[in-house]
Amino acid sequence: MLEVRDLNSGYGEAHVVRGVSLDVGAGEIVALLGRNGMGKTTFIRSIMGLTPPQINSGSITWRGESLVGLRPHDIAARKIAIVPQGRRLFPSLTVIEHLTMLKSARAKTGWTVDRVFGIFPRLAERRHHRGGQLSGGERGMLAVGRALMIDPQLILMDEPSEGLAPVMVQHLEEIVLGLKREGLSILLVEQNLYSALAVADRVYILETGKVVHQGDAATLSQQTDLLFQRLGVQ
Amino acid sequence: MNTFQLFNGLTFAALLFVVASGFTLIFGLLRIVNLAHGALYLFGGYIGYTVATRTGSFVLGGIGAMLAIAAIGFVLDQGLLRFVRGNELRQVLLSLGFAFVLNDLALVIWGGDSFTVPIPQVLRGGMRVFGVFYPTYRLFVLVTGIVVFAGLWGLLNHTRLGALIRAGVDDAEMVEASGVNIRRVFLVTFLLGSALAGLGGLMGGAFLSLYPSADAEILVFSLAVVIIGGRGSLVGVGVGSLLVGLLNTLGQVMFPELAYFVIFGPMAVLLAFRPLGLFGKAA
Repeated sequence: MLEVRDLNSGYGEAHVVRGVSLDVGAGEIVALLGRNGMGKTTFIRSIMGLTPPQINSGSITWRGESLVGLRPHDIAARKIAIVPQGRRLFPSLTVIEHLTMLKSARAKTGWTVDRVFGIFPRLAERRHHRGGQLSGGERGMLAVGRALMIDPQLILMDEPSEGLAPVMVQHLEEIVLGLKREGLSILLVEQNLYSALAVADRVYILETGKVVHQGDAATLSQQTDLLFQRLGVQ
Repeated sequence: MNTFQLFNGLTFAALLFVVASGFTLIFGLLRIVNLAHGALYLFGGYIGYTVATRTGSFVLGGIGAMLAIAAIGFVLDQGLLRFVRGNELRQVLLSLGFAFVLNDLALVIWGGDSFTVPIPQVLRGGMRVFGVFYPTYRLFVLVTGIVVFAGLWGLLNHTRLGALIRAGVDDAEMVEASGVNIRRVFLVTFLLGSALAGLGGLMGGAFLSLYPSADAEILVFSLAVVIIGGRGSLVGVGVGSLLVGLLNTLGQVMFPELAYFVIFGPMAVLLAFRPLGLFGKAA
């Protein structure tokens, strides 16, 4: 579905993503791992068409069509959604407005407000609270719910477990696996290795903007020396 | 300050609200300090004057002013500002240049005489309110200000477009990444803000009259309103308009030599403690 080939992108003179190639298949969860500052967020932003960074070379193809040069809303219209780093909710909007601003509350097809509230009952209880008044876990749920409202086929998730309590991380893993069962593809950027390995089918490890390892998640979880070397975990 | 002067302050505040609410919408969402806003006000006043005198209809004057100024706003946004997006200094300079062009154009078309937009028969004369005999038209301005506030409040808080505008003030990039063509939201907002300047021009043209340099006066007041109220905040504009309107009247009555200082002195003090204004939020 998503094919990235030799992508180079960065900020002016700073080349952050260096020749990254990556695939996400239909219904697949792919994790992109790496320490801080290795280019994971830059990579995600490049796919979503967010600038900066600029794409210097390489291709991003989605279902046979190039995404390079398209504006973010055009990319979203092709059913790619983002759950950005830090959630980036709208402090002025209530929970329900985050959802209804993208699709009428009366819509019946695809993801609806009721369906989002169905998988996140907590959000339903807080529907009239504003983005800034939610707890960390609720913010994460709302960011996922907002992404779902465009009926995505691929969700780019940038560190969704960031700042969450372990029980919330586990809840999030269940949600991610549930979305996979619905046929969604997910590109998951994580620093939390164990959370990523718990859900991912395949894994890429990014180091200073380059892919230094790729393979399936089950195999990687056995390669403890590799994990230690690349990610500093034991 | 007596009741009559209080009403003067309130009605001036209502006019300021109509003009400055358009200004803050554009400033808050597009991050553009549109220094042509005063010129749009004056030009709207002239067009409203011409339409109202030719047709004999104040309402048509208002509609004409709003449509014409929205059209000019379209040219300003899509023809010029579009090319300097994200560069605040260029936007400011460009809008200032546009204001000069518009003002000179007005001078060519309408000359340097002062005009007063004719008030419809029903709004002439005065009526007794709270023990004073007060001009009906200025009360009408007050009511219009309140109606515009209610309308904008409803638009911003109870429609999808309003939610998108508020979300865009918070984080335009994230709105765009959620599948919304934010530039279209920007354009609609720009046209709405411009139309409000045009409406203000007609309303103000009937009691402050229209003359070259009236644009700069209203622009300075609008800036004060928005800075005091806080960028992009409708409630901020409401409170800012009341403060500026009342302080202006108070200053003119009690310290005529210091009329401007009575507004800008407190504003400077306010900004020292709340740099983002009363209701402003960090970007």
